[in-house]
Amino acid sequence: MHFTRRELLERCAVFGAVTLATSLPLSALATAWDEAETKRQATPFCELGPFYKRKAPNTSMLRAPGDSGMPLAVSGVVYNTRGEIVPDAKVEIWQTDKDGHYDVEGYRYRAVLEPGAKGSYAVESVMPGHYPGRVCQHVHYLTTAPGHKPLITQLYFATDPVFEGDPDKNFHRDPLITSRELVRPVMIKGDPNQIIAAVNFDLVMETL
Amino acid sequence: MRQIVATAFLLLCVSTMGASNPIAKVQLPCESRYQELSPTGTQLVVHCKDRSMRVVNVPEGTERRVFAAEQHANAFAYSLDGSWLAVGFEDGTVELVPSRGTASSIRWKASSRRIDMMYFFPDAKALVVGPVDNPGQVWEIASTPTLRGTLPFEFGGLIACAVSPDGKLLVAAGDDTVLRWYDTATWKQTRENSDFLLETFALAFTPDGKHVLAGGADARITVLDAATAKQLRQFPPEAGSSVFSIDFLGDRQSAAAVYFDDAGEKPPHGLLWDIASAKSTALKSDAPLTCGTVVGGKLWVCSADGKTLTMSQCE
Repeated sequence: MHFTRRELLERCAVFGAVTLATSLPLSALATAWDEAETKRQATPFCELGPFYKRKAPNTSMLRAPGDSGMPLAVSGVVYNTRGEIVPDAKVEIWQTDKDGHYDVEGYRYRAVLEPGAKGSYAVESVMPGHYPGRVCQHVHYLTTAPGHKPLITQLYFATDPVFEGDPDKNFHRDPLITSRELVRPVMIKGDPNQIIAAVNFDLVMETL
Repeated sequence: MRQIVATAFLLLCVSTMGASNPIAKVQLPCESRYQELSPTGTQLVVHCKDRSMRVVNVPEGTERRVFAAEQHANAFAYSLDGSWLAVGFEDGTVELVPSRGTASSIRWKASSRRIDMMYFFPDAKALVVGPVDNPGQVWEIASTPTLRGTLPFEFGGLIACAVSPDGKLLVAAGDDTVLRWYDTATWKQTRENSDFLLETFALAFTPDGKHVLAGGADARITVLDAATAKQLRQFPPEAGSSVFSIDFLGDRQSAAAVYFDDAGEKPPHGLLWDIASAKSTALKSDAPLTCGTVVGGKLWVCSADGKTLTMSQCE
């Protein structure tokens, strides 16, 4: 059985497990608690460029058959800072191939995603390589939605050898990483013959 | 972008244009892979390996100013007459340093974001400042600088800009890949060109002010009509490269363009373009050079070997 914080608070109050050292009624306290629970910190900014390209295709499959490199699956949900899903967001993603090369002539490893009413997105790609001049592997994000500030950020991987297994300590090795939060854990999934690196990266937009 | 290029910057020594005549040897205060030469050829900003930045008089080699690594000086621009050096810092501060004399610097907080690019108006009376991911800013230079205009984008910040020779028109290139035309009297946008799919890294007006040259990640120089913002023609692309800078030479008909390798595997290379014919000449090198700018209409380049820097003028 799963209780929301509101339900838990109400049940605890019924059983006298909570002494309310406040003049707030229980319902207001529960509402405040709910809000505190659902509020989200905006995803930290991380700069855009270079090699953003307009008019990328609308696709969730960035990896082509036969592409070498570790398969990568990235998914997440687009929220606002109130914790609400942003249903009409547009998420643009671009990255290098496994060798650290951006495709500027075409649209390899570039996509536009429209998460829709559920706010969720998912892409299949490969783990990007190390682009010369940058320290860490990364995926660029540009997320836009009506009534929200454009969110420009980059996703990094806790498995990046640059971090030597300790991203808490070493994330500053890439001077462009503005927050440890952008370095995401990587789950290895699949069977031994077809492993996939899976990463969750929720996006939290600020309203205008 | 500028950081990425700066770390890889190696301009090539010009030989096919003719002889490169040594001008001076300068003893640097540090080992450096990259310098920025003032348009008068009398001062250098030396990017030291220890991440400090040192402003050095040429040819004496004396230090005029030192920015320690922890000061995080990030962007530099000289005024065309060489009288001012603008320095942009990671914390959004801008400092105007007089290149000559004993006048005091002017320092102000322009933004909360790192300053990534700066550009002086031709008359040195205004400075365009580009904080990362924020609108560009136009500051009137005075003892107390005044914000005169902002240059907004759909998203991101300012990458490059150029002002017409008469000072009436500014063209700005943003992260959103759109080129925008501004009337400098009102700071209202008058036109835009959204034909570019990729970023523009370099902009330059032709000396007659009739055309704008734009170059960037699409590997080519595009000629635009300054009056209409429409594309007129494109020069042949340099596959796998991005245009990093465009500078007109004193003949007013040719421009030196520096390209960097998108993959970061090869050093940057230069082409000399004849604007009328759209034909180019490769700028070949004997030795890797570490800075270059147009001084008195001629291309000056330098090469650092240890702490010794040789400056040459390319004929």
